[in-house]
Amino acid sequence: MTPVGPLFQANGVTKRFGGFTAVSGVDLTLGTGESVGVIGPNGAGKSTLLGLIVGSLRADAGTLELEGRDMSRLSLPDRVQGGIARAAQIPQTFARLTVRENLRLPAVFGARLHGAEASDWVDEVLTLTGLTDHAGAVAGELGLLSRKRLELAKAVAARPRLLLLDEIAAGLTQHEIETMIGLVKSLRSDRAIVWVEHIPFALRETCERLVVLDKGEKILDGAFATVWEDERLQSVYMGVADHAAA
Amino acid sequence: MTPRAFSAGLLILGGALAAWSAMRLDPGSLYLLSEVVVIMILAQMWNLLAGYAGQISLGHQLFVGLGGYALFLAANNTGVPIWIWLALAPVLAGALAIPLGMVVFHLKHAYFAVGMWVAAEIVAALVLKWSWTGGSAGLILRPGGESMTSNPERVIFFGLAFGLVALVVALRAFLASDTGLALLGMRDNPQAAEASGVNVRRMHLLVFVISAMGCAAAGAAYYVNALYISPSDAFQMNWLIAMMFVTVIGGLGTLTGPILGTVLFIAIREVMTNAGYSGGTYWIVIGALAVVVLLVAPRGLWPAIQDLTDYTKRKAFR
Ligand SMILES: Nc1ncnc2c1ncn2[C@@H]1O[C@H](COP(=O)(O)OP(=O)(O)OP(=O)(O)O)[C@@H](O)[C@H]1O
Ligand SMILES: [Mg+2]
Repeated sequence: MTPVGPLFQANGVTKRFGGFTAVSGVDLTLGTGESVGVIGPNGAGKSTLLGLIVGSLRADAGTLELEGRDMSRLSLPDRVQGGIARAAQIPQTFARLTVRENLRLPAVFGARLHGAEASDWVDEVLTLTGLTDHAGAVAGELGLLSRKRLELAKAVAARPRLLLLDEIAAGLTQHEIETMIGLVKSLRSDRAIVWVEHIPFALRETCERLVVLDKGEKILDGAFATVWEDERLQSVYMGVADHAAA
Repeated sequence: MTPRAFSAGLLILGGALAAWSAMRLDPGSLYLLSEVVVIMILAQMWNLLAGYAGQISLGHQLFVGLGGYALFLAANNTGVPIWIWLALAPVLAGALAIPLGMVVFHLKHAYFAVGMWVAAEIVAALVLKWSWTGGSAGLILRPGGESMTSNPERVIFFGLAFGLVALVVALRAFLASDTGLALLGMRDNPQAAEASGVNVRRMHLLVFVISAMGCAAAGAAYYVNALYISPSDAFQMNWLIAMMFVTVIGGLGTLTGPILGTVLFIAIREVMTNAGYSGGTYWIVIGALAVVVLLVAPRGLWPAIQDLTDYTKRKAFR
């Protein structure tokens, strides 16, 4: 058997805003079925990194490859069609469309499904994300939990090979977070997941690997337990209440 | 009733009504009604771009003039029947809209609006200057070099009225399709549309080309009826003002709004002109109406009426 390359590979990804470097030379390699948690203090560059990978932001340097295909120059819609999707930190929903219509767009234009095939897939995603009861509701009238779920469901509906999650559990209750954890677990099997979250137990439950970003740089990357015990992680979070509480 | 049955019914009913009017009404009424339908089509096309794709163009009079001139030049210089050119004029305008769209869509928002206006002014200036377009004197419709033997208003009115019904039916079907859903999604949140895999740029271009074609078809038909075209008339700002005003008054981003707005627009104009007010006085009333509507019902009259009936319905059920 020929050795199979990684599913996703990022090399030296960099983003500058004016004179300020938000993401600095980050490398990241992921295999199918792998879930990676990303943590780091506020402003560490986590959201910016996900934006660079999905293509909503243009990188100043670095390359991205998915399944051996160079994605660096592709536009955002082309990357989504190519197999990368993100659930954004602030839900980006279509306020005047129904939940079902919100999901049909990524199913048709992202996953490139048609007609009844797309409808069936949308139904499946609705069930998976627990949104079936809200299928006919207008997205603009949803509560926070449902909006967060919809944002995740939209990313899932695009059938990505690489799924990027940006604080999908932030602001939810303990019980709701557990629902999200179950959901992420059910999505792991045939794709890679990168989950940015400030809630350690959520990442511990779902990710075998942990990456730490600080001031735009990747300072740690390894098995969850090893990184968690590393004293450099403690120093990054010195005085940050979130971490101390966990 | 299924949407398909509704569309078929609308087409048959609209076609029958258009045919009946075309045969029975006097030429003067047909001429006025043709103008009403022309403005409805123009408004529908401007609305598709502004109300659904969120792109405000201040240069759509360009396509009205382009459609008219394409038809006059082609018909006058060939022996091919005018009806064929009537069908081909919008195709030509659509073809020209592709490169134009690729340039102007590099401009954002206000710059796009102004960019379109500049494009319209440039084309109008060229048509005014060139001798092969008739210059400032304009052109008289002489198909194959011979004067028209009969007035075309009956056939033109039927074509326009049936075309409007077909256009509304087609737009309804389009908005119900996946591509239409992408357009509605873009209107709500362009970034989210891109993040769903929708190529927003390509969609903008598609809608731009469709709206150019519709305006060119309406323009061509209008000037065939007039039998005469000149640059100062064909490329005038009033075309743009009419399509904008009736859309905004009636309801931007709705299919019924532009129709309702046009009826009001023409009613005000005719009543005031018949009452003896001179020239462009009616524009003042229409402008004032637009201001009032935007203050009282910012989304336009049709959405306001819908809210009202929804409200009374809900009350009745309680
Ligand atoms: N469009 C932008 N223009 C200028 N600076 C930006 C822009 N977007 C992000 N930044 C800056 O880049 C840095 C990284 O921001 P980013 O949103 O990636 O942080 P984060 O790690 O996701 O933080 P949080 O945990 O608060 O979500 C911050 O200092 C932020 O102010
Ligand atoms: Mg963030």
